[in-house]
Amino acid sequence: MSQDHFQEDQEPDQYTKQTIENGFSRRSFLSRAAGGAAAAGLFGLSGLPAMAKDAAEAKGPELATSGDGGATLSFLPKPKPIRDREISETLTFDVVVVGAGASGVPAALSAAENGAKVAVVQKAPFALSQGNTGAGIDLAASEKAGVEALVARLIADSNHRCNPKLVRQWAYHSGEAVKWVIDRAKQGGSPVVDQGSPAQRAILKVNGYSLGYVTSFFGPKPYTTGDGMRHLAKTAEKAGVRFFFRMPAVQLVQNRAGEIQGVIARGPDGKYTKFLATKGVILATGDYQNNKAMSDYFIPDVKHFGRKQLDKTGDGFALAYWAGGVIEPIGHTKMLHDFDAGPASMCDMPFLAVDRKGRRFVNETVEMSLLNNYLRDAENAGHYSQIFDSNYMTQAAAWPGKLVPPEGLKNYMPEDPGPKKGVFESQVNTHVAGTIEELARKIEADPATLAATVKRYNELVASGKDSDFGKPADRLIPVLQAPFYGIHRRVRVSAICSGMLVDENHQALNAEGKPIKGLYLIGNLGGGFYGGVDYPLTVFGLSLGRCYTFGYLTGRHVAKL
Amino acid sequence: MKPMTIPKAVAALLVLLMAAGLGAAEAAPKTKATAKATAGTARTSKHADKGITCAQCHGRAAKKELVPMQQCLSCHGDTKELAARTAKVKPTNPHENRHFGTEADCNRCHHEHAVSENLCLPCHKFHFKVP
Repeated sequence: MSQDHFQEDQEPDQYTKQTIENGFSRRSFLSRAAGGAAAAGLFGLSGLPAMAKDAAEAKGPELATSGDGGATLSFLPKPKPIRDREISETLTFDVVVVGAGASGVPAALSAAENGAKVAVVQKAPFALSQGNTGAGIDLAASEKAGVEALVARLIADSNHRCNPKLVRQWAYHSGEAVKWVIDRAKQGGSPVVDQGSPAQRAILKVNGYSLGYVTSFFGPKPYTTGDGMRHLAKTAEKAGVRFFFRMPAVQLVQNRAGEIQGVIARGPDGKYTKFLATKGVILATGDYQNNKAMSDYFIPDVKHFGRKQLDKTGDGFALAYWAGGVIEPIGHTKMLHDFDAGPASMCDMPFLAVDRKGRRFVNETVEMSLLNNYLRDAENAGHYSQIFDSNYMTQAAAWPGKLVPPEGLKNYMPEDPGPKKGVFESQVNTHVAGTIEELARKIEADPATLAATVKRYNELVASGKDSDFGKPADRLIPVLQAPFYGIHRRVRVSAICSGMLVDENHQALNAEGKPIKGLYLIGNLGGGFYGGVDYPLTVFGLSLGRCYTFGYLTGRHVAKL
Repeated sequence: MKPMTIPKAVAALLVLLMAAGLGAAEAAPKTKATAKATAGTARTSKHADKGITCAQCHGRAAKKELVPMQQCLSCHGDTKELAARTAKVKPTNPHENRHFGTEADCNRCHHEHAVSENLCLPCHKFHFKVP
């Protein structure tokens, strides 16, 4: 990969062109404003009354504006530049990473291993991440046609809207990167294991071609990748990386030529430190799910869902936007699931499913990762329950997934006094009851509604045909024999995984498609890897696997500049 | 610390109210006694009731900033000691958690000029009374 792959005479690829045309960037606003169009940015968004005032008062580029100049984004205000006399300390490194998560920590360590002097500035008091599984392709155990078949599957999962180059880059480098993360995290004391190919049973063959996998598992819960990244950070510290915690990055240092030279962060004492980066700044600040205005604007679908994370306020989006970066067009990709209320291995099993009130709402062969689309309203807000009776171990035995026997389900029951293992105790939400009405009360549904739903469902099962939702007959089992079970799941936002335009070096591109010198974007801040309505669960751990891989590659790339 | 003059105190209190997001539409309390009279509403200051001046938390600069957590700790002591004192609180220690360790910003739950809140809700069913 050349450092500056974009050339004047070379057309950008389809994805890049599309993102430049319809995304959000300063240039698209400035050029249109200069042409006399919609400088004040009047728009018809409801529910954001403050924005109308902002639009009337918009003074040129002080507020961010949509690609067509039509919307002024008050949630991305341009910060007042921090003056040099307000800086209490200036430190110089080769590489400065902002954000100590699943892409930031690997990026920092990778840069250090390639000879760079590295600083990590992190808003939280320590490294943070979520989830357990990260995936890569074991190239030695895979046919080339298999790798390409999986790439094609992932592109289809993203509704053919992603940047295929980035998906290929994950495909051909992830095995190496995930192995490296496992090895280095172990050096830091992590109990991480490689679960390998068995963790990816559904994709050992794609289109008839064979594949093998490297599957890192930071677990079981309550140990997660957050603990894993803290262990990896120990290895990074030994390699010379300096961590600066409780220091949110507030501004980038950019010269008149538009080159990024460093970042300014605010310490817990309120004082500013300037971190100069001679080779580059890598932003790994994660998504913006806790920034309400930004979420409502870019992905209104998630308005009523709970959030799984804290403080993911899209800081890097603001920083990179004001440096000239391009935010992907509206219609961002979301990730919602609940692996905690009951066994993860049963989440996609097509038991009777009911909404928050107790009504059947879907052909239950729809995967959990997509069910959020049926539960977007304020009443349901992501809540639903899986219902089954005491014969589930035999009657659902042939279904894909893995059944957990009644004794094991107790581990997920808040009412069961026994000790819990491998779960987040405050998130378990599985119940057992002698009657449907009693079960309804436990899963917080309406008893009469649930009773009617179960009665109707049993009629359909008896008839052998799902004339209400068309579910296949071999996925119909009755709910007749007490005790009855209910897993009350509530899908919440794990991540929003659309971001900002980058090239294959993960260098930010501006609205002309040219790289912004010194600025790199990875993790969920980096765009182009997804593009569908929902994050696909085809490869378990794709999200973390992508974070590790792009962190690993980008750290190395920037260190070698 | 030198006691504040009345005009200074009024100005500081005004800034304080604005910083708390309450706006300046309300008439400014003329004296400390008036401020006390509104005790029980969000427009109070438990600290002021104990004779602590605005400047002791918000500083003396013309433009008053939000109070950094370090300012809280300068009087209330070390976060780890606090976490140790609340270690046995059920169902979980509010001052030590997976998200922030012992370093959650005090202001996330404990508010000085507004009703305090419980940041754990609604994700976790930890029902604390937050002073």
